[in-house]
Amino acid sequence: MAHDSDQLDEPLHWRAAVLGWICPGMGQIMIGHRRRGIFAMIGILGLFLGGLLIGGVDSVDRRDDPLWFYAQAGAGPIAFAADWANLGLLKSGKVGELVESPPSNPREAPPLVSTFKTVTVANEIGILYCALAGLMNVVVILDALKRPIATRIDQERSRR
Amino acid sequence: MMIISHLDLVRTLAWIPFLQPAGAMGSYWWLLMFPLVLGISIAYRATHDHSLDRFWHRVILFAVKSTVAMGSLALAMYLFVYWVIPALRVG
Repeated sequence: MAHDSDQLDEPLHWRAAVLGWICPGMGQIMIGHRRRGIFAMIGILGLFLGGLLIGGVDSVDRRDDPLWFYAQAGAGPIAFAADWANLGLLKSGKVGELVESPPSNPREAPPLVSTFKTVTVANEIGILYCALAGLMNVVVILDALKRPIATRIDQERSRR
Repeated sequence: MMIISHLDLVRTLAWIPFLQPAGAMGSYWWLLMFPLVLGISIAYRATHDHSLDRFWHRVILFAVKSTVAMGSLALAMYLFVYWVIPALRVG
């Protein structure tokens, strides 16, 4: 297809990709696809913030759920900020209380967990929302990397 | 119809958004799958469509199709586990 071969000739927009990781959708905006970038931003940030709203900041946990965090990290610094908030507010006991939970190994001391930590389905769905936001942002970043720079016609169409 | 119990109402009023998980959904947690599919559809259509004309129409259509496909798979799994497997003769 002519369109595909045009895209293959197009140089990769590394700066747009990095910007797209820092703020979802900004990569598309940088290469002139403003409307496309805003829609992508609404989708990714909506999913991520929705996940935090449903599951709390405990949905993002680099230490206890490292595999999930690899997916969530695709959403950019917002995932690291949520993990930092989880560590600094919940796990430190600044918000809520720390209580002993049953240890997985009876010979070890019972670990302290926040009363705000939950094992309900809300937490699982929150984790899923944030992970899918991260994975979808990888798709958005790859799109910003390969998408041709917007022509003037594209930009005028984007302003409408 | 979703009926929020007195306990759920108290839990909702005491809820601290972004710190505590939202627990008032109770057994209706599966409704949260719809906004999830909608969010994925928005991000997917924003990157995969050549033109953004009738964007929201396409997003809704994609979300509905995805939901119906997942619902059909769930129904097929239900029928397989609760109807087909018990009907199989063992031995």
